[in-house]
Amino acid sequence: MKEGKSVKLNHQQPHQNGHLTPSKFAKLFDPEASWDKDQLGDVLHWIRQVLGLACGFLWGSIPLVGGIWFIIFLALSTGIIYSYYAVMLKVDEEEFGGHGALLQEGLFASITLFLLSWILVYSLAHF
Amino acid sequence: MAYPFSDFKYSDGLTVVGISFCTAIVCEAISWVLIYRTNSYKNLRSSIDKASKKLETMKTDSNKINIKKSKTKKIDRVETSLKESSRDLSLFKFKSGGVVALVLFVVFGLLNSLFEGKVVAKLPFKPFGLIMKMSHRGLQGNDPTDCSMAFLYFLCSISIRTNLQKFLGFAPPRGAGAGAGLFPMPDPKTS
Repeated sequence: MKEGKSVKLNHQQPHQNGHLTPSKFAKLFDPEASWDKDQLGDVLHWIRQVLGLACGFLWGSIPLVGGIWFIIFLALSTGIIYSYYAVMLKVDEEEFGGHGALLQEGLFASITLFLLSWILVYSLAHF
Repeated sequence: MAYPFSDFKYSDGLTVVGISFCTAIVCEAISWVLIYRTNSYKNLRSSIDKASKKLETMKTDSNKINIKKSKTKKIDRVETSLKESSRDLSLFKFKSGGVVALVLFVVFGLLNSLFEGKVVAKLPFKPFGLIMKMSHRGLQGNDPTDCSMAFLYFLCSISIRTNLQKFLGFAPPRGAGAGAGLFPMPDPKTS
C-alpha cells in the first residue's frame, strides 16, 4: 500500500508551466489520473483565464451591455470550473484545500482579464 | 503617422494595453535579475517546496493513523521551517519590490501625461462607487461609461502581470500561500 504510493509519487514528473506534452493533455480529461496540488491549481488557473478572455471577446463582440453580464460571467466560469474538477476529474476537493481554494484559483486575474477584453472589444468594435 | 487601428475611435486603449504589457515584461526581467536567478532564492524555493510537500504527506498520514505526540512534534517542526522560509522569501522579494514599484509608478506617470482627460475606452456597464472614481479619473463630462487610462492600467497591471508571472513560473509557491506575507498569522492547530 505505502510502497505503491511512493512509487506513484516518484514517477510523477515535475510540472512545467505552460508546456504541456500531448500525454499530459490526455491527463486533463482522465478521472483516473492522480493530481498534485500545484498541477491542479495551475490547470484551474489557466482554464479560468481562457474563460475570462473568451467571454470578454464574446460579450464585447455581440455586444452584451450592462452589469448583469458581469454576474453571468462569474456564475458561468465558476460553474464550468466546478464541473471540471468535481464532475469530470472527480477529485476529492478536501485533498486540495476544499472547494473554496479550488474555485478561487486564478479568480481575480480572470476577472480583470475578462473586464479588460470586454471593454476593449466593445470599445473598438462598436464606436 | 498612420498605423493599424488608428481608425478606431478608442485605439488609445490598445496603446495603454501595449505599454502595460511591455512594462510587465520589464518588471519581470528586473525581478529575474535581482531575485530569481540568484542561488539563495533557488535554495529558499526548493526548501519551501520540500517542506510543503512533506507537510502534506504527514498531515494525510496523521489523519489516517492515530495521532501520536512525536508525529505532532514533527508536523510542528516542518510547519515552523515552512513559515521561516516563507518569511525569508518575502523579505527577499521586498528587495526588488521597490524597483518594480518605481517602474510601475513612472509608467503610470507617463501614461497619465499622455492620456490625461482623455477617454481611452467605453465601458459596457455603468460603474459605481470606487470603480467609478477610478474609471472616471481626470475626465470631464457626465457619462459614467467613459473609461479613463487609470482604470484600464489597473486592469492591465493585475491581469497581465499575474498571468505573465504564472507563465514564466515566477509565481510564489503554493505552500507559502498560507504563511505568505511579512507577518504570517499564527494558524490554529488542526489536531
